[in-house]
Amino acid sequence: MSEVKKKVLLVDDDVDLIEQNKMLLESKGYEVVTAENVKDAWDTFQKEKPDAAVLDLIMEEHDSGFVLAHKIKRDAYGKTIPVFLLTSATYVTGMKFGVSSSEEQEWINCDAWFNKPINIDELSNKLEECLEKYGK
Amino acid sequence: MEDTKPKVLIVDDEKGLRIGTQRLLQSENYEVDTADCGMLGIKMGTENDYDLAILDLKMPDIDGISVLKAIKKARPNTVCFIATAYASYDTAIEATKLGAFTYIPKPFTPDELLRNLRAGYERRLLIIEAERLKKEREERLLELAFEKSRLNTIVNSLADGVFVVNKEGELVLYNPAAVKYLELNEIIIGEKILGILPPKISELLKHFLGKEAFENKTNSAEVELKPDRELVVEIKCSPVPHPDGSLAGVVTVIRNITEMKKVEYVKSQFVSMVAHELKTPMAAVLGFLNIILDPSLQITPEQQKDYMSRSKNRLQGLLEMVNDLLDISRMEMKTKSRELKELSVGGIVKSTVDFLELELKKKGVTVTSRYQEDLPLIKADNNEITRLFTNIIGNSIKYNKDKGTINIDVSTSGNFIVTKISDTGIGMKPEDKARLFSEFYRIKNEHTRSISGTGLGLSIVKRIAESYSGKVEVESEYGKGSTFTVYLPYSK
Repeated sequence: MSEVKKKVLLVDDDVDLIEQNKMLLESKGYEVVTAENVKDAWDTFQKEKPDAAVLDLIMEEHDSGFVLAHKIKRDAYGKTIPVFLLTSATYVTGMKFGVSSSEEQEWINCDAWFNKPINIDELSNKLEECLEKYGK
Repeated sequence: MEDTKPKVLIVDDEKGLRIGTQRLLQSENYEVDTADCGMLGIKMGTENDYDLAILDLKMPDIDGISVLKAIKKARPNTVCFIATAYASYDTAIEATKLGAFTYIPKPFTPDELLRNLRAGYERRLLIIEAERLKKEREERLLELAFEKSRLNTIVNSLADGVFVVNKEGELVLYNPAAVKYLELNEIIIGEKILGILPPKISELLKHFLGKEAFENKTNSAEVELKPDRELVVEIKCSPVPHPDGSLAGVVTVIRNITEMKKVEYVKSQFVSMVAHELKTPMAAVLGFLNIILDPSLQITPEQQKDYMSRSKNRLQGLLEMVNDLLDISRMEMKTKSRELKELSVGGIVKSTVDFLELELKKKGVTVTSRYQEDLPLIKADNNEITRLFTNIIGNSIKYNKDKGTINIDVSTSGNFIVTKISDTGIGMKPEDKARLFSEFYRIKNEHTRSISGTGLGLSIVKRIAESYSGKVEVESEYGKGSTFTVYLPYSK
């Protein structure tokens, strides 16, 4: 990790999970900015220009995470940062989540999936790998 | 001839001949009736089904030809003879044209007469047998036609689509439902239809049609005929055998299972939603425990205590949610035993307010109420109605502002007891109002983030009210407060 802390945008509508994940990410040396809903998340994203985004899949609507991920990935700056999705639903309508196949990558606009509660070591390893890939 | 005596009618005005012939025939084992004039001859010959009739041509009242005509008209199977001394070629021809078997010239010898009668009787037996066979055949044809129309009526009245193809894949039989499901405007019996069927169905059919031998099994498949669960059918194809066991064709039954599929979908949606709602608090508790147990994080004892108490809250919430879910499930399955009693809505509202006193005090919320006098009673289960008002009044405390007020008004309107519960709380936006009673729906904004709840309370309220043919209405102004109005029908 470089001297300058990497900034991670953390979005979740569950205050307990935000606090936990913020603490865990900080323990790995990241600076964390948070938001509890899609609107605030977008504002924060534009203002803070984070180096990565970690989004909860299910917020107000069941696909808020998807929508937000898409929006970020379509943004000129957003497409230069890794976006992770978090979920506690491993199956919604029988669908398994993953971004291993190219088909999934095409419509799920994110770099990795993590189940809640997160394993911070796994997540931070992946984050490092992606940050490097994106040249952050 | 041996078993039953042939019945003969003799019509002759000549007494001697009449009696003589009668005696002769009786001795030859015939059963003989006689008539002494044409009129009587017609009467007897048309009223009885004689095997044979011997008619004198010349009689004083009416002639034998008229008697012949009348008898033949009424009894076409009676074999008639014309007996006459005035035989001419013309009369003979006319008589046979009119249906006489033959004519016997007078005078006749006993042998001549008997020979003629025997031949006539044989003819009579043949006619009867032919008649019987004809009738039998007609009956069988009628039965066959009836069988066919019965089958058609049955097949056509089925709600399931049915069609049959022969071994060549040509349409043999179909009903209107099949045409409807397959959206085939014009199908013709005898037409090869595999090409115009949905691919999945023709695949099932081809499986059987390709084989020479009859295979006693049914293949089935679910086919989405219109996308997005608009029309889903179950297809069952069974081979139809010939009597010799070879393949005659295939019968296909199409059943509409759209409703079932829709219910299945809603159910699976609900299950994933429940799974998510249950998993989120568990993930939060697990997350806290991970942090507490991770030595590298080095949290302070105060933090640890905070995380423990927050974990406890999440588990408490989880327990409430499971209880709510079980209640909903019991209500859905109607297994919840209800004790219907005469209840006073006012009384229940009062005791609910008393029960929630601690919560009211904590938030400094005051309650003002007005109860109409002589309120009629409702017939309902005490626990359910208490639950309904606890959920609504509980919400009006939870979502009220500090030191706010709750105004309760219980009165009658029409056949309903109307309970209005207004608060001075955070209110809600119109878009939230629309989804308020859906399971797990919780309004999320800066005011509600610290308020815990299962998202099931109002869904339970709605279910209870509707189960008593009542309803719940809500009016709200964002930032000002909400009014919930509960209508419960009272027993007159």
